Parts: sequence; C-alpha cells; structure tokens
Amino acid sequence: MASRAEHAGLDGSVETGDSYPGIRDLAVIGDGRTVALVSIDGTVVWLPVPYVDSPSVFASLLDARRGGRFELAPRAPFESRRRYVPETNVLETTFVTEDGIARVTDALTLPVGDGLVPFRELARRIEGISGTVGFGWSVDPRFGYGAENGSIGLRSGIPVATGRGRAVAVCSWDAGTPHLEAGSVTASFGTVAGSAALIALSIADQEPLVLPSRRDVERRLEGTVASWRSWAAEREAAGPWHDQILRSGLALKLLVQSRSGSVAAAPTTSLPEEIGGERNWDYRFSWLRDSAFVMGALLGLGCTDEAEAFFWWLMHASQITHPRMQVLYRMDGAADAPERPLPLEGYMRSRPVRVGNAAAEQMQLDIYGDVMQMAWLYADARHRIDREFGDRLASVADLVCDIWPQPDSGIWEVRGSARHFTQSKMMCWVALDRAARLASTGQIPSRNVDRWRSEASSIRSFVEARCWSDRKQSYTQAAESEDMDASVLLGAKFGYGDPAGTRFSRTIDALRRELGRGPFLYRYMSDDDLRGEEGTFLCCSFWLAEVLGLAGRREEAVELLNELIGFENDVGLYAEEIDPSTSSFLGNFPQALTHLALISAAMSLTRAEP
Amino acid sequence: MTIWGALAGGFVGTLVLTTMLRGASELRLTRIDLPFLLGTALTSDRKRAKALGYIAHFGFGFLFASGYFAIFWAIGRSGWLLGAALGLLHGAFAGSALVNVLLPLVHPRMGDSMSAADSVARLEPPGFLMTNYGRRTPIVVLIAHVVYGAIVGGFIALSAT
Repeated sequence: MASRAEHAGLDGSVETGDSYPGIRDLAVIGDGRTVALVSIDGTVVWLPVPYVDSPSVFASLLDARRGGRFELAPRAPFESRRRYVPETNVLETTFVTEDGIARVTDALTLPVGDGLVPFRELARRIEGISGTVGFGWSVDPRFGYGAENGSIGLRSGIPVATGRGRAVAVCSWDAGTPHLEAGSVTASFGTVAGSAALIALSIADQEPLVLPSRRDVERRLEGTVASWRSWAAEREAAGPWHDQILRSGLALKLLVQSRSGSVAAAPTTSLPEEIGGERNWDYRFSWLRDSAFVMGALLGLGCTDEAEAFFWWLMHASQITHPRMQVLYRMDGAADAPERPLPLEGYMRSRPVRVGNAAAEQMQLDIYGDVMQMAWLYADARHRIDREFGDRLASVADLVCDIWPQPDSGIWEVRGSARHFTQSKMMCWVALDRAARLASTGQIPSRNVDRWRSEASSIRSFVEARCWSDRKQSYTQAAESEDMDASVLLGAKFGYGDPAGTRFSRTIDALRRELGRGPFLYRYMSDDDLRGEEGTFLCCSFWLAEVLGLAGRREEAVELLNELIGFENDVGLYAEEIDPSTSSFLGNFPQALTHLALISAAMSLTRAEP
Repeated sequence: MTIWGALAGGFVGTLVLTTMLRGASELRLTRIDLPFLLGTALTSDRKRAKALGYIAHFGFGFLFASGYFAIFWAIGRSGWLLGAALGLLHGAFAGSALVNVLLPLVHPRMGDSMSAADSVARLEPPGFLMTNYGRRTPIVVLIAHVVYGAIVGGFIALSAT
C-alpha cells in the first residue's frame, strides 16, 4: 500500500510540486495504439498521442514543471492500493482516507460497440465505496513533449485544449464544475457510498473532436474490460507461474502496435538507468534483438495472429535495408530514427531526454541470429515461409557468412569502438544453424547450405579459441578479453552450446560470482564509454533462471525465478533494471525484454516440470 | 481522341508504372508494392495475392485511363504534357488520400489509425504520402504517375490523329 502523507491542494487542485513518482510506482494502461502511465497517487504522468512513439500530451514523468499531467486524487491525506481488473489492462486504484474509501478505474478505451468513437479516449471512473471522499482533479495538457501549452477554451460548454494539430476535450459527469485557469482544467467533487463520477479525455489528431455521451463512455469502459478478458481467456499460460506469464503477456500486448504488428521495446523514453545520469534512451522502437523472444512468447501464449503480424511486419520493414538489417526500426516500419535531445528537465533531473535512437546506425551482428531463430520458430509452428521471404532469409544467411568476422557494437549497443563480442559471434552461429535447418525442411533455398555449415564451424572455432578464459573459467565478453558479460547466456538458450556442458556450466557459475548481486545480474561491469553506473539488468536474471533449468539445475532455477518474481511491482510489472541495494526500478518501463525473458523462463521451466 | 487510345495508354502506362515501382523496390528506394497491397485485400496467400493484385492493378490502370480520357474529352484537348500534369495530380491524390486513407478503410488486413488492441492488422498502413514504406516513396510514386499520365495522354493524342 502506498501513501502520501501530506496534501497541498488549493481549491480542488492537486499539487505534487516538482516531485517524481518512483518508476516502481507506475502502472501502464493502453489500447494497442498508445499507452498512459499512471502513478500510484492517481496522476497520469505520460501519454503520447496518437501513437506510442508520438510526442506527448502528458510528460510530467520527464519534466514535472513543464511536461503536463492529469491529476486525480483525494484532497485529504490518503493511502492507495491498486490492481488490474483481473485479466485486463484496466487499472483500479483504491484510495483510503480517514473519512472514506473510493475507487478509480482507468482505461484507454478500445473502439468497441456502436456509435461514434473518439480518436483516442482516456476514461477515469470514480466510485464511492464507503464514507465520503473529497476529490480534486486537474488536467494540464502540454503538447509536443511540453513544448507548447496550447490554448484552452469552451466548446459547447466542454473545456477543450488545442495545440500542434491535436485537441483534448475534457468531458466530465458528476465530477464537479470544471474551471479553466492558467492552461489547466480543474475541479473538485465528493464521493459517497454508491456514487459514480466519470471523467473522459476525448483526443483528436488532425480531425474534429468527438464529444462523447456519458453512456457511450461507460459502455466503452465495460466493453474494454470485456475485450481484454476475452483476449486473456484465449491465452495459453498454464503452470505454477500462470499469473506472471499472463500479466507479462498483457503487458506485451500493450507494446504491440495494432496497426502494424511491431512491438515496442518499452513505451517510454529516457527513464534513466542511473538517477541523474546520462544513460537515458528512447525505447519506442522495435528492436530485432527482441524478435526471437517476441516470436517465442507470442507462439507460446497462443497469439498466432499477433505472431503472423509481427513476422510480416519485420520482413517488410527490413526489406528496404535487405540483406543488411538494422538494430531497430520505427514502429511504422521506417528505417530512420534520428536522435535528438529535448529541452526537458529529465526524470529526477536525469539529462539528456532523448527522442530517436542513434543505435539504429550501429552494426550489431547478433540480430541476424535473433531473426533466423524467429523465422525458425515461426516455421516450426507450421507456418509456411513463402518463396520471396525464403529467398531473403537465405540471402541474410549468405550475408552472415561474409560479415561475421567483423567487429560490431554488440547486443548492448556499446557506443565506443566496435569489438569482437562473444555473444554476437554465438548468434551468428545460431543464424547459420537455423538457416541450415530451415533449408533442410524446404522453407528456404538450400543452394548455399554447405557454406553456411562451414562458416558456422569457423565461428565455433573462433569462439572456443578466442572467447574463453581459462583464468575466469568462462566465456568472456569479447575475444581476447577477461571481462564478463551475461549476454553469453543466450548462447546456451539458443543452442550454440550445451547448457549442461562443462564450458557453459562453468560460465554460469562465473557469471553469478562476478556479475551477481543476490538474485540479480549486472549485464557487464566493463567500461562502456559512458559516464556513471547502472543497475542490475533484469532480463539477464531471467535468462540465468532459464539456462539453469536447461542445464538440469532445476532447483536453483525455480528458486531464482520465484525470487525474481518477488521483485515485480504491485501490479506485476518490471522495468529494464533494478537497483540491487534499494530494489528501485531503473530504466524504461515496462520493458518488453524483461517480460519476454520472464515468459520464456517460466514457460521453459513449466515444460520441463517433472 | 478515342477510348481505345486511352485503354491502350492505360495498359502501357500501368506496365511502365509497375516496372518503375518494382525497379525502385529492387534499388531499395521504397517498399511500396501496389499489386501486393491490392491483392492482399482479397487473399492472405501471398503468392495468390500478387497474381490477383497485378490483375486488379491493371484494372485500375484502365479505369484511371478512362478517367483521363473523360477529362480530355470534356476540355477538348489532350497530349503527353497535359497527361503528365494529370499524372502529377493523380500521384499526389494516391499518396495523400487514395492509398493512405481510403485503402486502409476497405482493406481487411491493413491497419489504420483506429486499429486497437481488439484487432490484429497483418499489413502495415502506408502513412501520409506512403512514407511508411520508405522516405523516398513519395518521389518514386509521383515520378511513376507522371510517366503514366504522360503515356496515357500521349496515346490519347495519338489516337486522335
């Protein structure tokens, strides 16, 4: 249960000064097009519109003074607890004050049911449970990442904010009389047992606003709950970690762009890997690094439609750079992702705030292994790869034969000079192995299969001779290095080596010894040409749990997985990293790769259950 | 000026337009593939979609050539230059409204700005000026349509002589 000791509201407005919520205190809602982050104190602190990679309307998460927010909370001191409405992405926050209890239900509604549907709609229903609770609310939109206040006026008696081709209508029912002041819409009201108030933001982008009726909003809210439940009911998530797999699946679904099938690495930008530091990146792109995990999770969950859409999207997006592939593509499939800083304060003054991602221009060899593994999983699930895609995948394998000896930036996109990263080489082996397997099943042309096998053998010789340390008894981060890197665990996961074999068994022990902090793992400890330090990397810990299971060390694996699950936040979500000493979340949130790694580990251990 | 000239121009113009777009795709300038976009509206089988898409594309080629003919007939003038001007307008309309707005509305497998979590799109939408398929797509599409228009205009003018 979270609490806020003091309230500093004036005339119904709720002020939180320039404080930032803990990343652990955030929950996500979404509609398959964009997402909103809601803090445990009831404030919507992040909302890009119309898509997840668009500029924001609310971004107080990145600049508490200028970012814009939607506050809704009791005016008296309160405690709050929350959960998702079971099997949905609809959030329920229960506020407890000295005088009563009230519940707020938040959703980005889906365009379900009849009637004219707003372009985007954020609905917040406030119900009195017991006693009386005085609420204050304030909608403070700022367009274009806080760059423009926009103008606010009344249209048909409804407050409307406009700016940058967008408009936000603040519709409310039984939620007090809205006042327009200094760029904000504010009001206050009270709840009693059985009362219900409703606030809906109808948002338009380059089109006229739809001003919904209360009945339509209520119906959409109910329809949204039903739609999520229907989706969740079709998922395959059996076993002891059913709840965690399903919640991760629901979080993943929020990161899937419904219009294209692409999957965002996270719905946020620049939540820092170190508070006050410069390790702040925009993750609102689809990373090929994640592709094998995405395909594995979607197929494992029984999301065959989403799996097919993702495969088609990736093959189409990478067509323009074929046979080379980029580290990441934009959600709409475009290849350019120019990086620039925004004039924002940054989360807890962590600067710069970046949009775009320069990693798009890096060379990262491991992605070819991820993509070929993804294609193998897709084909193995009885999907047919057509001739055009088959030809292209074969050309990708040919390319890997040519470029694997080159140094690259590695899975972690190190911004210094290129190196011969071990995991990159292992994944090149995976790429050629999967290509040969696809050829043997007739899914891709087999004309160069002998070359693929021969080059795969050369890669193995390279890794075994130059990427193993006798002193550390471990695969190392890079050739001729003594540094450690948790990403080599993926070599065991994707079949480069036997997880139970001598070298990987010793590597597991060495990684826990050198990079471990309790149940967590740092991804590496070596210099990466960036200032400052970072937290432990959550996906690496889940990879470790899975590889322990694959190595036959089930007891250790289950113990580790259960321990890691204990560090989810109150609604079952994870960020990219965790501070091992305080358990605070760090980095973008919620992070696809962390949830994908959880799904992968939990499903793998469930399958291997004795 | 005869309708047969327009149809002949439509056939040759579509042939050239399709070849230009395919060439631009092979040169990695764009990912646009109009026959594929049209064909996948009818079937999810990629191979069949391309075959059906080419037929549909030529059908539209004839349809637009007939439209050009109607305009030339109404103004009493024709020629390759006038055809090129109409082609420019045609290309701009295709990029900004026809393929960007109207196609996603009727295409059962294409996402649009309202696609949400209760649906799964199999085909990415083109975006304004079809830039989702590559930044150079609008230029390629405009040039191809100008050439199409010039050919149709030229054939119609020739059929008058």
